[in-house]
Amino acid sequence: MNLTLSPDFHQQLTRRAFLGRGAFGLGTLGLSSLLQENLAANTSAARQGGVLHYVPRAKRIIFLFMSGGPSQIDLFDPKPKLNELNGQPMPASLVKNERVAQLQGKPLLCMGSRYKFARYGPAGVDISELLPWTAKMADDITVIRSMQTEAINHDPAVTFMQTGNAQPGRPVMGSWLSYGLGSNNRDLPAFVVLVSGIGSGQNLHTRYWGSGFLPTVHQGVQFRSSGDPVLFVSNPPGMSPEVRRRILDGVRDVNRQKLDAVGDPEIATRIEQYEMAWRMQTSVPDLMDNSKEPASVYELYGEEAKTPGTFAANCLLARKLAERDVRFIQLYHRDWDHHDQLPDGIAKECRHVDRAGYALVQDLKQRGLLDDTIVLWSGEFGRTPMSQSNTSYETYGRDHHMKAFSAWVAGGGFKAGGLVGATDELGFSVATDRVHIHDLHATILHLMGIDHTKLIYRSQGRDFRLTDVHGHVVKELLV
Amino acid sequence: MKSGRREILAAALLASLALPTGAAAADAAVDFDREIRPILSDNCFACHGPDENKRKAGRRLDTREGIFATKDGVTAVVPGQSDASALIQRAISHDPDEVMPPPKSGKQLTPAQIERLRHWIDQGADWQGHWAFERPVRPATPAVSDAARVRNPIDAFVLERLEKEKLAPQAEAEARTLIRRLSLDLRGLPPTPVEVESFIADSDAGAHGALVDRLLASPHYGERMAQMWLDLARFADSDGYHDDTPRSMWRFRDYVINAFNANKPFDQFTVEQIAGDLLPDATVEQRIASAFHRNGPTSSEGGADANEYAAKYAVDRVNTTSTTWLGVTLQCAECHDHKYDPFTTREYYQLFAFFNQVPENVLERAIQGAPLMAAPTPEQEAQLGELTGRVAALEQHLKAHMPEAPAAAAVELNKQLAAANQARQEFAKSLPQLRVMADVPEPRPTHILVRGDYRSLGEQVSPGVPASLGKLPDGLKPNRLALARWLTRPQHPLTARVMVNRLWQMIFGVGLVKTSEEFGSQGERPRHPELLDWLAVEFVESGWNVKHMLKLIVTSATYRQSSKISPGLLELDPENRLLARGSRFRLPAETVRDNALAVSGLLDRTRAVGGPSVKPYQPGDLWREFSYGDSADKTYVRDKGADLYRRSVYTFWKRSILYPSYAIFDAPNREVCTARRPVTNTPLQAYVLLNDESFVEAARVLAQKVSAEHPEDFSKQLHRAFHLALARPPSAAEAATMENLYHETLAVYRRQSEAAAKLLAVGDSPPLAGADPASLAAWTCVANAILNFDETVTKE
Repeated sequence: MNLTLSPDFHQQLTRRAFLGRGAFGLGTLGLSSLLQENLAANTSAARQGGVLHYVPRAKRIIFLFMSGGPSQIDLFDPKPKLNELNGQPMPASLVKNERVAQLQGKPLLCMGSRYKFARYGPAGVDISELLPWTAKMADDITVIRSMQTEAINHDPAVTFMQTGNAQPGRPVMGSWLSYGLGSNNRDLPAFVVLVSGIGSGQNLHTRYWGSGFLPTVHQGVQFRSSGDPVLFVSNPPGMSPEVRRRILDGVRDVNRQKLDAVGDPEIATRIEQYEMAWRMQTSVPDLMDNSKEPASVYELYGEEAKTPGTFAANCLLARKLAERDVRFIQLYHRDWDHHDQLPDGIAKECRHVDRAGYALVQDLKQRGLLDDTIVLWSGEFGRTPMSQSNTSYETYGRDHHMKAFSAWVAGGGFKAGGLVGATDELGFSVATDRVHIHDLHATILHLMGIDHTKLIYRSQGRDFRLTDVHGHVVKELLV
Repeated sequence: MKSGRREILAAALLASLALPTGAAAADAAVDFDREIRPILSDNCFACHGPDENKRKAGRRLDTREGIFATKDGVTAVVPGQSDASALIQRAISHDPDEVMPPPKSGKQLTPAQIERLRHWIDQGADWQGHWAFERPVRPATPAVSDAARVRNPIDAFVLERLEKEKLAPQAEAEARTLIRRLSLDLRGLPPTPVEVESFIADSDAGAHGALVDRLLASPHYGERMAQMWLDLARFADSDGYHDDTPRSMWRFRDYVINAFNANKPFDQFTVEQIAGDLLPDATVEQRIASAFHRNGPTSSEGGADANEYAAKYAVDRVNTTSTTWLGVTLQCAECHDHKYDPFTTREYYQLFAFFNQVPENVLERAIQGAPLMAAPTPEQEAQLGELTGRVAALEQHLKAHMPEAPAAAAVELNKQLAAANQARQEFAKSLPQLRVMADVPEPRPTHILVRGDYRSLGEQVSPGVPASLGKLPDGLKPNRLALARWLTRPQHPLTARVMVNRLWQMIFGVGLVKTSEEFGSQGERPRHPELLDWLAVEFVESGWNVKHMLKLIVTSATYRQSSKISPGLLELDPENRLLARGSRFRLPAETVRDNALAVSGLLDRTRAVGGPSVKPYQPGDLWREFSYGDSADKTYVRDKGADLYRRSVYTFWKRSILYPSYAIFDAPNREVCTARRPVTNTPLQAYVLLNDESFVEAARVLAQKVSAEHPEDFSKQLHRAFHLALARPPSAAEAATMENLYHETLAVYRRQSEAAAKLLAVGDSPPLAGADPASLAAWTCVANAILNFDETVTKE
């Protein structure tokens, strides 16, 4: 890894940017964007976007994002007191002046969980009966019960989780890492997105994997489960790869002549990008094709992994992407927004994600990849300890909750078998070891070898960071 | 004096290009604003600047008073005595508790920077305000030795710099290159072969200017300009936040197109968009213009707090106004005093106070997002007038003849009247509804939102503008209209500079101030400051005449240069900031598609400008993949016929799932005001050009066109295709490459007739009757290649 700047840094920078301004250049430093946008602003050593500040523990991240906000009260953070008080008002001292979403103007009543919990792993983490597979890997993961965010509605909260800010317009974590670290793979993008739960739950915005004010080369590329695996990757009907190659040869020859005539290095870049496109026409469909996986894989991931577009299939793809050294692999699984009929909804989603998440972690472990791959499981927020719609154990619901929720992490230098943070006895607020989203971001960057205060990009006359002006590395989470 | 200053600038530029700075310029007079303020701004202002709450030791270095003040016996800067100046003493200190900036800030002054600070102090410490906040004054046009190269004053400024650098500009580009460049720049469409040939044949000295006049008079000029402006106006066809419901704002888009086409003076254009609704006797058009500030994203999410979102909307309006007209980023001041420029949080909320007066349905979907207006097109207005006239006429008739009319006739008349009334009402209901601005009759009080939190109300403030930029004109009610009048005062330091810089950016790819969204002290200083000021003054004195400014720019010798790049020049000036050559860059997203449509002949030319947004080809399930579970607009229903081929400025702009080929070519989703698009170069762009249905169909139709025009003659066909796509004939080598491609693919399609049929079935446009499918498929491959040439998607 290149940790220092050479004296002829400027020349290198310039040349590199000319030759590899592409999305997926090979460099380990986020230099292309430096030249393109920010040469003047970002060349002081303290602001080097691409310099690794620490020896990295992790090379890549798989972020299993649970869109909609899973209920921590029913999954990771049992509160027997809520069951005792079921249907009674929450203490005013807890909820006074606190924000709620759809419960605005409604009575705030305690709602216990209908699910049984048992303790697992060295830390004795309580895990709900809804997550038997997750419970089996309590030795591998660390549960965080003290997550906190600042936005209470889905769109701003997802935006906050991804970018560290509730307002649109900033780069997401994957884009920051693509900018900071570049790509390790010459045939695939640095930042890949997979979506499951299509047709249900909260909508997604493509900005959730957008590069904000960073150059668009750093945006996530969605790999799709139906239609073109990457938009427009497939040749038109009636055009074989042989014909396509001939066309590409013709384009390349003409572009080379143009390059000789006008000398614009941008043409050289275009020639390279067309070759990259050609390689991805093979590498992407190969990757997306799960049909050649051995039976043992499906024994691990379950039958659902055979159906494209499921979370299980995407977990399997995530492992394959990790094997190919894709830097940031972002899964979106939808439909966790259980304002009512929570028992039906949450049981269904747990069936989709529980075994697959377990399988992914085990698979990575077996292949020796877990050591340098971070796996993160989280929603954009959690759900209230108060009921929504009714207090029946059969049909209750819960509103959005930002003051305390749960997530888990594994691999890549995160502690295994741990438990961090606790909430008060009704699960309303964080009691100890708060992990704000800024802190989670700072910790992830730390494990990737980056000091979060030094990964900076200047836009609109201001230096921006993923962690804004906040964030602390959470030492308790580290090995 | 003038020329002395220019020499300094030139010397400094040389030095800065050569890196590192230092020795060469050591003895020259130090320019505070250009050399010293940036050092102070970067290293000191965060703790010793405008932000009162973060200010350390009560010491301020961003003002004249502060930097020379003696406090506790310590003076930061003692003019003429660098050794006695605390600024230098602290900068060179080895004591970690003394040295400035402090080690924990992570900042450190370089020896060269300290040296410049010393020189500045020893030379007398001349202090000036930030250049962009001072009114521009028209500089004298410089004299240059090679006067023959000067076509207008722009060239004199550019050439003077080049002569200092001992650089020669490039020769003028070929006529066919120039007409393609002009046509793409001013119309966003390529020239037709007939236009190219007649321009080449026109030997008149005024041919270039006459062509520019024709292009500026084209209705497509307004469409092209709107493409740029709509990014600033964050215009879109959907709500943006949460489930991103479709909305209907296209009458605003058409206002922008028409305003540019009519060459509406920019001051008027500004006033109408910021405060058209507040103008006395506001016309329909002026009220439509006020939709500018209803374009921002809105939410209808259940459980959202209306107060929170009302504040968000006002913040969006402040930020958009400041980026669009002031070219400064005020948004830091939403939470704390600006750290670098003289803008306080209080002033931020004084601007906010102009924009939080809208009686809006904060959390309603767009269609219920009052205030709304019926926004008829001129044709609809006429039709409405006719229907109203008919009702009136019938009423008149009834009144006049009722008494003596027989009962049956009266019944009949009444029936007709009822029908006419109903027709009118139904028509009125069908008119496009547009979200527009309005103010509540009694101004609402505005409070500072402490740290930007809508629940923490601070001090109450009244509407006003930042003191460092002047004050509202006297005698006006302090509302949006006064704000707009203030922005368009001829002496405003920013409005004209920001706009001419934007025009420059559009034409040359990079503005004279590269950070076109940021003219404050953290933005880039202009590379040609005097040229920028000259243009700004010219703009105001021309009556804010946008076409005049564009004509000046594109008739300059600077613009007309060839874009050929020599290796030496590339090394010296990779971004072409010195303008020793023509600019060469990839077309914007919309133009990439429009160009392919125009080259193939698919572009819809049957309709005048304007109309509802359209939905061209897009992979079927894209919207469904991301849409809210039960939302009504889950499926993208693509249009048919001519709507598939309308110019891209009319494409439906859904914020959460932007039309993919535009997103891939760097178009913003327009959730926030965007002043500058990046220009990237990626494999995904190759996929769009190679495989997107729009582009494959364009290739097929181009193939059909040349095949029909020149049957059985590949060479002629190829020439025709090159002329259409590139405004030039192919070289011998290119012709050989393409002919080879044709024969290779022809052989394939001779063997695979089914494949040929499939390829020729892409897109809705009709096939060429009677053509040989294999030959046409092979030609489609050739055309696909042509549409993928770097040159095809590049302005040369």
